[in-house]
Amino acid sequence: MSSSSVLEEIRRAEEFLVVGKGVRRIDALDKVTGRARFTGDFVLKDALHVRLVKSPIPHGRIIEIDAERALSLGPVRFFTAADIPGENQVGYALPDQPLLPADKVRYVGEPVALVAAPDEDLAEKAAELVEVRYEELPAVFDPLEAMERSDVLVHEDRGTNIAEMTRVRKGNVERGFEESDVVVENTYRTGHQEHAPLETEGAVAIPDTQGGVTVIASIQYPHLCQRITARVLGLPHSMVRVVQPYVGGGFGGKDDMGPVVSAMAALVAFKTGKPAVLVYSRRDSFTSTCKRDPSVVRYKTGATRDGRLKAIEVQIILDSGAYANRGPYVLWRATMHAGGPYEVPNAKVDGFLVYTNKVFEGSFRGFGNPQVQFAAESQLDELAERLGMDPLEIRLKNLLRPGSRTITDQLLESSVGIYEAVKLLGEKTGFRAKWREYRRERAGRVRRGIGIACGYHGISTSRGVPDWSNATVILGRDGSVTVETGICEIGQGSWTAHAQIAAEVLGVPVERVKVVGGTSDAPDTGATHASRGSSIGGIGVYVAARRLRERLADAAARLLECDPSDVEIREGRAFRRDNPDDYVEWEELVQAAYGMGYEMSATGYFFLPKGKFDMERGLGYAYPAFSYIANVAEVEVDLETGKVRVVRVWPALAAGRILNPVLVEGQIEGAIAQGMGYALTEELKFEDGRILNPNFTDYLIPTSLDVPEVEEPIYVEDLYEYGPFGAKGVGEMALIPTPAAIMNAVKNATGVRITEIPATPEKVYFALRRAGVVAGE
Amino acid sequence: MRAGGGGIVVRFTLNGREVEVTTRPNATLLDLLRNELKILSVRRGCETGECGMCTVLVDGLPVRSCLMLAPQVDGRSVTTVEGVGDPERLHPVQEAFVEAGAVQCGFCTPAMVLTAKALLDRDPNPDERTVKEAILGVLCRCTGYAKIVRAVRLAAERVAGGVRE
Ligand code: FES
Ligand code: FES
Repeated sequence: MSSSSVLEEIRRAEEFLVVGKGVRRIDALDKVTGRARFTGDFVLKDALHVRLVKSPIPHGRIIEIDAERALSLGPVRFFTAADIPGENQVGYALPDQPLLPADKVRYVGEPVALVAAPDEDLAEKAAELVEVRYEELPAVFDPLEAMERSDVLVHEDRGTNIAEMTRVRKGNVERGFEESDVVVENTYRTGHQEHAPLETEGAVAIPDTQGGVTVIASIQYPHLCQRITARVLGLPHSMVRVVQPYVGGGFGGKDDMGPVVSAMAALVAFKTGKPAVLVYSRRDSFTSTCKRDPSVVRYKTGATRDGRLKAIEVQIILDSGAYANRGPYVLWRATMHAGGPYEVPNAKVDGFLVYTNKVFEGSFRGFGNPQVQFAAESQLDELAERLGMDPLEIRLKNLLRPGSRTITDQLLESSVGIYEAVKLLGEKTGFRAKWREYRRERAGRVRRGIGIACGYHGISTSRGVPDWSNATVILGRDGSVTVETGICEIGQGSWTAHAQIAAEVLGVPVERVKVVGGTSDAPDTGATHASRGSSIGGIGVYVAARRLRERLADAAARLLECDPSDVEIREGRAFRRDNPDDYVEWEELVQAAYGMGYEMSATGYFFLPKGKFDMERGLGYAYPAFSYIANVAEVEVDLETGKVRVVRVWPALAAGRILNPVLVEGQIEGAIAQGMGYALTEELKFEDGRILNPNFTDYLIPTSLDVPEVEEPIYVEDLYEYGPFGAKGVGEMALIPTPAAIMNAVKNATGVRITEIPATPEKVYFALRRAGVVAGE
Repeated sequence: MRAGGGGIVVRFTLNGREVEVTTRPNATLLDLLRNELKILSVRRGCETGECGMCTVLVDGLPVRSCLMLAPQVDGRSVTTVEGVGDPERLHPVQEAFVEAGAVQCGFCTPAMVLTAKALLDRDPNPDERTVKEAILGVLCRCTGYAKIVRAVRLAAERVAGGVRE
C-alpha cells in the first residue's frame, strides 16, 4: 500500500480514539514536579564554564586580542578564530557569518573570543579582562540608508549592503490600478522582537573517547546542529552527537542559535578535552542572539467600487542586521505572503534584505509574515473605510477559497477554510454591530474598539523546496512503543502529538508510547520550524507505525485464525472484527510476532511532493498548503496616556485536523500574547547600534495582568491530504494577524491609523495628538 | 550561622529536612540551591530579580532566590517544588496544572506552582484578578497565562470546594 493512499484512508476516517482528543501531555509530570532537566542542569564534574568576550563597538577591525591579564588569573583558557580547527563559518543562507570573527566585528555584542575556567566567577572575571584593540569603522544602522550607501559596507566582499532581493510579478499592476476606483497607499514599520525564551540559549559539550563530541543543547534541529558543529571542528558529521534535553521555549530563535552556541561549547570541549558549559546570560540573550527582522513596508492597494481587490504594489525592506542568517528565506516568505489570504489578480512585490551594523536577525514565529500581514491587513481596513464598507464585508468579498490562486499564481485546490472561518467568527463576535456602535460612540477618555485581521501561512519550506519526514518506531518485547524523531519538543507539544499518532495507528493507549526526539541519533527529520513539527514531522511516525500495524495484523490473523483484513487492533487488544471476544492482548501479540520472525521496528520516510517555482518572476508553487487564521480583537484606548489595553481576542483557525485541542489552544493563547507584546510593548531600543534595554525591566514582555481574555477558538477542519490525519501547522498562526487586529481595533476606537509597531503609549498618544483627537499642550 | 574557613555555615529546613551547608557569604540562595544542593527545579532566567524563574518559598512566602543571600535563610524553612509533591502524590495545584494544560515548555512551571500554592495557602478562594496579581512576578513566554490562571482556580475549587466569580 502506498503511503499516500494510507494517508487518504485515515484522512477519511471519522472516528478516532486518541487523535483530536485533549490527551495529556506526555511530559507534564516531569514538568510539574520540577524533574524536567534543561541544558544548564547538565553541569558535569570538572566542567569548564564558558563566557563570551563581546564587541563593544558596532563596526571595526580587530587589531589585537590580548588575554595576558585574563590568563594570569588562574586556570583560564582562551579561544579565538585562530583556534578553530575546521571551517570558521556558521552562516545559514549565505556563507557570511564566522563563529568568531577573525578580522572585523559587525555589531555591538558580537562574540570575538571565548574564555573558559573551572568556576563561573573566574570565567566571568577573565572575560572582562580580555583586551581587544579595534580600529573603528564608520557604521550604518538604518536599512534605508544602508541600501543606498556603498562607502560603508557591512560585508566589503559583497560590494553592497543588499544581501538579497526577491520579487513577485503577477498580472499587470498598471492595468490593475487603472481599473481601480480607489487606491490606498501607506508605509508601515515594525520593530525588532526578542524571543525572550525564559530559558536562555545554552549548550553543554562533552568530549568522547573516540575524538568526537556529544552536545546537549537548547535547539530546534539536532541534525543542523550536528552539521555546523562538525564543520567548525573539522570532523565527520558522525563524530558529533546532538541531544536535546527539555527546551525552555524556542519560538524560532533556538533554531538559529542552537548550532552557534553548540559549536562554541564544542570548540572548548574539543580543544581542552573537558566538558564545557556555555549558558547565555539574559544580557547575552538580548545582545547576542538573533531577533525578528524589523521592516519597512510600502504598500499600495487598488480596488473597485464594489470592494474587489484589483492590484497591489508592495516594497518590503527587512533589516537583517550584521549577517544574513535566515534573512533570504524570511524575505521570500514575506514576499510570497504579501497579498494576505485574498484573491489579488495583479501583484508586484519587491523585497530587499539589508545589512546594518546591528545584532543579526533570524527565525521568529511567523518568519517574515507578521510584518507583511500587519501592512496588508491595515491596508484592507483603510480601503474599506474609503469605500464605506465594514471590515468584515471587504474581507468576505476577497478571501481565498478552494479554486483560488495566490499572488504567486499557485492554484489552491482544496484545504482552504478561511472563508468559512471568517464568516463564523463574524457571527460569533457580533462584529458588525459592535464595530458600528464603537465607531458611532467615540466619546470619553477611554474608547473601545473592535478589529479583525486575517492571516495565512504556508506550511513547510518555501518556493517548492522539497520537504520530507522521517521517523523510526520500535516495538519492545514487552509491548512498549518507542518513537524516534529529530523533531524537538520546545514546549509546543509535538512529542505528545507524535505519541497520539503512533497510538492511534497501532491501537494502543498513549501511555505505552515513549518519544525519543530532538537527537541526531534519530533519522534527520528536518527542523522544528515552519509549523511543521507535528504536521510534517508526524507523517514519518504515521508511515512507520502503519508498517508495524500491517505486520501485527498479519501475526494476529495467524493467532486468531482469520484473514488479516478481519483483524481489529484497538485499546491494546487485537480481535476479530466479527467476534470481539476472540482476542489477544497487545503484549502477547507483540511477543508472538517477534517469535514468528516479524521485524518489530520500522522507519517511515516520506518525501513531500511539491511543484515548480520560477524565481525570476516569483511565480509558481510556493507551499504545499496554507494554514489560515483570523483574529478579532477588542481594545480600550486611554486617550490621556495612549495606553492600549487588549480586552478580548476571538481566534478562528483553519489548520486542518486539530490533533489535540488542548495543545492547539495553548499555542493560540501563547501566540496571541506574544503577538500583543510585539504590537504594543516590546520595543528594543538602540543607540549607535547598542541595545539600551537588554533586560526584562525595560523590554516588556506581557505579564499575567497584560494578556487579554482569549475566547475558545473556532476550528474549521479543512483537511490536508499530506498532513497526518489531515493536520496542517498551528504553532505560528495566531501571532500573525494579532498586530493588525489590534491596530484595526484602535482605529475603530479612535479614528486614528497607527502604522508603526510597537505602538507604545507614547507613540499612540502622539499619533492621537497629531490627528487632533486629543488636544496638545 | 557561623563563619569558618572562607565559608559560612547555614542551617535551614529544606523541603522538611534539616540541612547544614557551608557556602560563600555572598552566594545567593539560588547558587546555594542549584550549585551546592543540586535542586535543579529552581531555575535561572535572569539573576536580576526580573523573571521569577528562581522563585522558592521561604517560610511559605514566594521569594526570588537570586535576590536573596544564602545566609539569610539560616534558621528558616525553604520549599522548592520537590517539597510540594512527586509523581505518585501530586499536590492539587500540580494536578490542576497537568489537567488544565497549563504546562508548555515547563521552564516557568516550578515557580508558577510554588507561587500558586503560596496563594492558596493564604487565600483558598481567590478570584481571577487575585490569581493574576499573585503570579505577576513570574513570567511565562509560552502559555499567555490563560491556562495557568485556570489551573490555579481549578486547584482552589478542588481544595476549598468553590471559587468566587
Ligand atoms: S532568575 Fe530571574 S528573578 Fe531570579
Ligand atoms: S511554559 Fe514556557 S515559560 Fe511558561
